[in-house]
Amino acid sequence: MTNSPKTTGRINRLLAMLPWVIGNPGVSVDEVCDRFDYKRSDLIRDLNTVFVCGLPGYGPGDLMDASIDDDEIIVEMADYFARPLRLTAPQALGVLASGKAVQSAGSGGDALDRAIVKLERTLLPEGAESVVVDIPEPRLVGELRDAAIEGSVMEIDHTSIASGEARIRDIEPWAVFTTLGNWYVSAFCRSADAERVFRIDRIRSATPTGSRFTPNPTPHEATIRYTPGDDDVHVTIRLTGDARWVAEYYPVDVVDDGSDSMTIRMSVGDAAVAARLMIRLGENAEIVEGSEAAIATADLRSRILERYS
Amino acid sequence: MQKVIERILNLLAYLLTAEHPVTADEIRNTVAGYDRDNDSAFHRSFERDKDLLRRLGIPIEREATDVFEVEFGYVVHDDHYALHDPDLTDEERAALSLAVQAVGFGGRPSGQEALMKLGGIVGSLEGTQLGADLGERADTVAEAFRAVSERRMLTFVYRGGSRTIRPYGIVHRRGHWYLVGSGGDDDEARVYRLDRASDLVSGDRPGAFLPPVELDPANEVLHHPWDAGDGADIATVVFDEEVAWIAERELGSRATITRREDGSIEAKMEVAAPEAFLGWLVGFEDQAELIAPQNLRRRFVSYVEAG
Repeated sequence: MTNSPKTTGRINRLLAMLPWVIGNPGVSVDEVCDRFDYKRSDLIRDLNTVFVCGLPGYGPGDLMDASIDDDEIIVEMADYFARPLRLTAPQALGVLASGKAVQSAGSGGDALDRAIVKLERTLLPEGAESVVVDIPEPRLVGELRDAAIEGSVMEIDHTSIASGEARIRDIEPWAVFTTLGNWYVSAFCRSADAERVFRIDRIRSATPTGSRFTPNPTPHEATIRYTPGDDDVHVTIRLTGDARWVAEYYPVDVVDDGSDSMTIRMSVGDAAVAARLMIRLGENAEIVEGSEAAIATADLRSRILERYS
Repeated sequence: MQKVIERILNLLAYLLTAEHPVTADEIRNTVAGYDRDNDSAFHRSFERDKDLLRRLGIPIEREATDVFEVEFGYVVHDDHYALHDPDLTDEERAALSLAVQAVGFGGRPSGQEALMKLGGIVGSLEGTQLGADLGERADTVAEAFRAVSERRMLTFVYRGGSRTIRPYGIVHRRGHWYLVGSGGDDDEARVYRLDRASDLVSGDRPGAFLPPVELDPANEVLHHPWDAGDGADIATVVFDEEVAWIAERELGSRATITRREDGSIEAKMEVAAPEAFLGWLVGFEDQAELIAPQNLRRRFVSYVEAG
């Protein structure tokens, strides 16, 4: 049995709020509510709790004193709670890595730089930088983010990763995000009349069309996921030797995992994806089933060799 | 819940003011809120309370009550309890609040609890919109972070084997967290992908090692997969106009680019790991051509012919 996460969260906040209130006597209820994300009633409940706790004896001289007078909060007789708690590793990592991510993307400022220096000085040993977050923002991220905020329809020149086909599209950008090392923009694509997610490093140019749209006030879920479609190409591949990494890297079904080979089945949006993968894997992979992928692979092989002949 | 919170505050107040390790019995008979009559009820609540406080970062340690080491008790050492306060200004807190809002781990914001301890959230967290995600395995990365920040040895399972290393740093690059460290007797740094590591355990002793002076973890983790290896060939590749812009973005400043009249580019780059490089080149299909060196070009052709 463990105490509920709710209890843990409440005590974490209480032990963060107390040092602040003790260090800033007379601070207003509103300020404490803002700073520690309290509803007024919850703050009053926590202060009432403090009021009945303290040191053994638990008499008037042993309990902490907490009161609200004219909307000012006073906590006394609680010197042992005057210092903020040290951060746990997940907490320290969360705040430091978040700060460094924003800094690396180039959207921080002087205050963030100073905050990171101070955090590093207290959280990390001296010496070379030991926590590094590298997520450089590629071109166009800023433009697309601004367009999402302002509700500006953008014309983009986008090359599909899967098919390699370039198309001009009008999009209503919703949100810009990064995950697994790539930046994406989620949008309503007017050209396809559907919701789409585009990889920003495959957008060659983006220009405002001059039309506007009303930005959605509720943010969209910023994720990429593979959605199976009717046009998907299915292929079954036998992997040997070094090629087994494919099973770890791509979403696949493992059909058979033997000692000298592994057979996987995967679905891709375009046969060209399977073809490039097959060429990359070379002699360590063989198509067992899937004629469309096999044809695409043979075609790609001959096109490349043609160029080198 | 109210009673539990009162009891935990009383316990913590007691531990913070006791100047020596206090036994479970002393706690039971002194701190308000514990059951004095029922043994198992007391132990159940006491264990839970200790767990909760430890999860919040409060180091409750078990130590002998005197030099004879007959009795053991609990103690919270001052210097382990309190935050080394970075003395942030409100402007700096606001910048961190915004950052925490923009960045998540596995789809959830991370760092709000830390902000509370650092003096609260400044500015609103309403309408949170995650702009960046630092991966699913926050627990694994946090354990590596702990070992790095306290210079503890780190043991983990990697590719089926157990490793024990001196961890020098963690680096998030190209969408993954990497751990940089060295094991064994030499100081040569190795790089591990944290999403492939499991069962991370930090050693008991903080300050267990000093990293090599010259080492910079950021330099150990590659920018491109083909940077790995010793010695490098200079490869020359022509990218057709349609894909030249993609190649330029992926290569960044690490290649020398010459633009040609037809819109194509000629890029010269260092290649230390040819296999990874040739694999990358396949992605450009027949819209790129490896011009030099000849031996690498021949290798690419036989690579494409294979299979």
